[in-house]
Amino acid sequence: MAATGSGPGVAERLAGRHVLLTGVTGFVGEALLRLLLVEVPDVRVSVLVRPKGSTSAAARVATLLGKPVFAPAVEVAGGVEPLLAARVGVVAGDLSDVPALPDDLDAVVHCAGDVSFDPPVDAAFTTNVVGTRDLLARLREAEERGDGRAVHYVHVSTAYVSGRRSGTVPEGPVAHDVDLEAELAWGLAQREELERRSRDADRLEAQRRRAEREHGRAGLLTAAAASEAARRQWVKDELVRVGSERARSLGWTDCYTFTKALGERVVEQHARTHPVSVVRPSIIESALASPHPGWIEGFKMAEPLILAYGRGELPEFPAAADTIVDIVPVDHVVATLVAVLAHPPAAGEPAWFHVSSGHRNPLTFRRLYEHVRAYFDAHPFQAGSRGASPLPDWRFPGASAVERLLTTSERAHRVAESVVGRAPRSDRTRDLARRLEQQKQRLEFLRRYLDLYQEYAQADLRFSDERTTALRLSLSAADQERFAFDTAAVDWRVYVEQIHCPAVTAPIRRLDEIRARRARSTPARAGGLRPVPAAEGAGAPGVAAFFDMDGTLLSSNVVETYLWMRLQELSAGERAGELGRVLGRVPGLLRAERRQRGDFLRAVYRDYEGADRAALDRVADELLTDHVLARLSPEAARRIREHRRAGHRTVLITGAVRPLTRPLAPLFDHVEAVDLVVDDQGRCTGHLVSSPLVGESRAAFMQAWAAEHDVDLTASYAYADSHSDLPLLAAVGNPVAVRPDVPLYRHARRQGWSIVDWASPASAGRSLNPAGGRR
Amino acid sequence: MPRPGFVLEVDDRTPPLLVHEGLGFRLEDFPQGTRVVYPPESLPAVRDVEAAITDALLHPLGSDPLPERLFPGMRLTIAFDDVSLPLPPMRAPDIRQRVIEQVLTLAAEAGVDDVEIIAANALHRRMTTAELRHIVGERVFRSFHPQGKLYNFDAEDRDNLTHLGTTDEGEDIEISKRAAESDLLVYVNVNLVAMDGGHKSVGIGLASYRSLRHHHNPRTMVHSRSFMDHKKSAMHHSAWRIGRVIKEHVAVFQIETTLDNQVFPAPFDFLMKREWEWSLRDQASMLAARRGLALAPAKLRHKIFHDLRAPYGLTGIAAGEVEAVHEQTLERVHRQQLVEVDGASDVLVLGVPFLGPYNVGSSMNPVLATCMGLGYYFNSYRNHPVVRRGGAVILYHPLDEGFNQLHHPSYVDFYEEVLSETTDPVVLSEKYERQFAEDDWYRHLYRTSHAYHGVHPFYMWYWAAHAMDHVGDVVWVGGDRRVAARLGFRAASTLADALEMVSGSVGSSPSITYLHNPPHLVADVRV
Repeated sequence: MAATGSGPGVAERLAGRHVLLTGVTGFVGEALLRLLLVEVPDVRVSVLVRPKGSTSAAARVATLLGKPVFAPAVEVAGGVEPLLAARVGVVAGDLSDVPALPDDLDAVVHCAGDVSFDPPVDAAFTTNVVGTRDLLARLREAEERGDGRAVHYVHVSTAYVSGRRSGTVPEGPVAHDVDLEAELAWGLAQREELERRSRDADRLEAQRRRAEREHGRAGLLTAAAASEAARRQWVKDELVRVGSERARSLGWTDCYTFTKALGERVVEQHARTHPVSVVRPSIIESALASPHPGWIEGFKMAEPLILAYGRGELPEFPAAADTIVDIVPVDHVVATLVAVLAHPPAAGEPAWFHVSSGHRNPLTFRRLYEHVRAYFDAHPFQAGSRGASPLPDWRFPGASAVERLLTTSERAHRVAESVVGRAPRSDRTRDLARRLEQQKQRLEFLRRYLDLYQEYAQADLRFSDERTTALRLSLSAADQERFAFDTAAVDWRVYVEQIHCPAVTAPIRRLDEIRARRARSTPARAGGLRPVPAAEGAGAPGVAAFFDMDGTLLSSNVVETYLWMRLQELSAGERAGELGRVLGRVPGLLRAERRQRGDFLRAVYRDYEGADRAALDRVADELLTDHVLARLSPEAARRIREHRRAGHRTVLITGAVRPLTRPLAPLFDHVEAVDLVVDDQGRCTGHLVSSPLVGESRAAFMQAWAAEHDVDLTASYAYADSHSDLPLLAAVGNPVAVRPDVPLYRHARRQGWSIVDWASPASAGRSLNPAGGRR
Repeated sequence: MPRPGFVLEVDDRTPPLLVHEGLGFRLEDFPQGTRVVYPPESLPAVRDVEAAITDALLHPLGSDPLPERLFPGMRLTIAFDDVSLPLPPMRAPDIRQRVIEQVLTLAAEAGVDDVEIIAANALHRRMTTAELRHIVGERVFRSFHPQGKLYNFDAEDRDNLTHLGTTDEGEDIEISKRAAESDLLVYVNVNLVAMDGGHKSVGIGLASYRSLRHHHNPRTMVHSRSFMDHKKSAMHHSAWRIGRVIKEHVAVFQIETTLDNQVFPAPFDFLMKREWEWSLRDQASMLAARRGLALAPAKLRHKIFHDLRAPYGLTGIAAGEVEAVHEQTLERVHRQQLVEVDGASDVLVLGVPFLGPYNVGSSMNPVLATCMGLGYYFNSYRNHPVVRRGGAVILYHPLDEGFNQLHHPSYVDFYEEVLSETTDPVVLSEKYERQFAEDDWYRHLYRTSHAYHGVHPFYMWYWAAHAMDHVGDVVWVGGDRRVAARLGFRAASTLADALEMVSGSVGSSPSITYLHNPPHLVADVRV
């Protein structure tokens, strides 16, 4: 039989008190604010909230109080505004620059903090150490300004500050001798340090070479942009990595717990002279009962894994089957906090409380897995039209086996990716690339979470919660019910299968349903593109549609068309020779194509040297018309015409010579093509009047043309097929990748660009005699 | 003496019968009692073709002999039927080449210098040089083509069209300026079927959209019962009114030629024989063809069929005044093609072959397949359709050939944009015809490339309007379901399934008639 305490109840003890909360826009803070407002009627609350963009702190709080979970308190007060006026003070400010605090405070609950496990090291130190220190300093200032009453400071930490220990962890300060100031200085200096190191010439050169290899065809500026993006990404990744490594070298799992532990050290200093309580919850998940079972905001620690498992995408887990996973419902955490608030310790005698379940009501990974599996067996995801995904069977082979599996998969993926990147373009390679991309996302997800959780999954920790239990037992029976936080009372089967899993899968199910409905209601349109909206009325800037030719509108390429033109000019004997000569040059041409499209085109056009310009024109008119039009994709023609009907201007941009564009000219308002230099005898010199328009020069041309013709590029369209057209596509607001090559395909998917499959006409004859062979 | 056409009634001894379906054929077990209409065997061919031509030119009907109408300094224009006739294309030398050569010889003898030769392709695609050469022959081609005196008619060349006025029913007559301003216009026909020739030659072959729209429309087409009988065809009535006005302005010397039924060369000649009479050699050819076609990729099958050249024989030639000549031609065509059929049936079965007038060297797209089945083959009747009103038509074609972007660009858009909205000929003609007919891009393609005119797919659909109006159900055996649905029809995998599907309108044991076509036949239905 549970013991009960006597004396004044929690609500009574807190009546008339003024409590400042930080982090109320977070999960725990919101739950705590709600509990105070709903269950402790006479407490006054102030909240420290950061203005966000143009939204003021007060407006953010008003929005927060408008949520359904606050309805009981709002109802009693008669509306959000009266509630704000009567009980909730708003202190606008930020932990990076803590404002002056009200001077009549009785208590402060600090639950703000960076909850991600892999924050950049400087951010982790700023929020968890500097923020806490500044808050405490302001608090002492407020105390001095006030009537000298000591303010009870309640610090929300995490049970995992104990680091990579094993065994039972008592409710007390973590033993370590890390030099707080030195680590803090180091941590805060890392961004500058890494920014400096990222500009190291050798590193920059390696990044630039890789970027040029990958994006060189699109142009040097595109490569430069990619190189700079790679540098920034490197800084970002390094900030995370150096943080984790430093944490591990000192015995913590990651930068989050490390800085949290250092934050506690700051609090301990304050506690020497002030009343302080430290509350350390373990893994906080959805509510058991209050405000309603399964209440959760955003995704916490276990959700991504649960969802991934339900989708059949988490094949194994690097934990031992009997390791304890220490989960606590959020309502237990905030109830503990309220009880702690009501029982301030004496100054100089700080109190520690663990909110954890592992000690008295352990849940092992195997049982968690079984409950999650049982839930998904009964309620599978019905994503797509292919029924439920198969659920993986976990055998808990141990961390190293899982690591091996993942490493092998990653290596295989890298090989496949590099192969596909070099494969000739086809529907099959594109499909492969799409699947590889999906697999990559999965692997990256797995890598990230397994790396993060591995530490926790292997930590065999038992957090003693004796003091928390004692605190609970000291409450009256009514308070024990009202502020329930007995984690031993949780029935894990009920909690996981009936409360938590339904709660975290609900938004996904809703999303799936919306997607399915949208898929059903969207009529299948040719090419999958949205119809072109009509141009604005007179006065508004115009809209243009820019089209690449080879590969986008036509299923041929420059070499093929070139061969056509040359062969028509020559006799049968010469033809064979020419064919052989060109075939011999193909490897070199392909190399040039990979390197730089402009060089490639120049190499091809050099072969026009000595060709009679008039003859070329004649051949173009007589034979290329058919050659080109037979390869014109019907969807492309329809789309161009749709743009024209909508009042848009259409522009053809190509690296091909002008004669080749003649058959298509009527579709376009402007054709930007290459002209051949002709000598005084009408013969081509093999040189071009100007550089072929490729890569970035296309974007430059588009900008100039748009300015000249009063065209709004952000409202305009561009259609292209190749990675070298990246600048052309990136220059407009509505880029469309048409049967893209693999690099462009990857880029388009990442950018969320439209991708269409304009089939080239299947019946396009390849015979040189358009009338067909005759008997 | 060739055997006349006849109607077979399928009984338990009837072997599976040959049915054409696109780039292939199948052997079908028809239900007992099915009537199968076979065309007459080939009539005896004219032995001395050159002499027959000379005779026709020197002894024309209702006209002075050709030499007497030729004089120095005159403008002579020779027009000829384009690549849409005959089907399959004729093995060289083409009959038109032989006729044109003789006409040119006479013209040269008479001292005529100003001669132009025009392919009367109306809104059809421009013929390629290879196709022109095939029809007129190497000699004529070389003498006229390089000088620009042998060319395709351009119905969108506003400067080279002449408006000759209107008929008493307000129909515009706009034809080739050169033809209209010639002292003599010689038109060389190949009268493959009864609807060709007569006043349809000049008035349609050399006319523009402005003129053609008066008879190529759903209203006229529904009231053409059938195209093979010009006296009962509203389309021909219009053509005849137009032709009689043209006659007042232009001196026309009409030459019409008729062919026999030799449409398939060896080794595909078994396709023209009656199945129970197949020799061992025919059976071997059939098996080889079937096995080969089953293995061949679509491109190769296309090539095999489209390279076929028919070893046609000439059954007759007439020259002179249009109507007198056409009278004689019709008599010859009917002798070769007419089969008497007793009464209409509930179900009409047709095999749509690989070739129609508008996909020579091209693909039989779904719109053309519809036109071929419900337009031409359905209309291969006199007096009364072979199927009763409200009956069903079952067609064989896979509907999988897709569109040729070079030849049929407006068809693709017609299929994607128009048919997806409506398949009703009247509705689509009112809503979309003008837009397609006057589209600049299609006009450009028609004039400079080898594309059919923008309005052409509409005409194909109108050809089928009479059938769509007359019958209840249309089912394609072996057809792509999505394509059939887009066309407004249904698809079945077997004949049995198709019969099951139409049983709602014709009952479970309907009377069935199968037109064993090609070779061409016209069912003379007695009701």
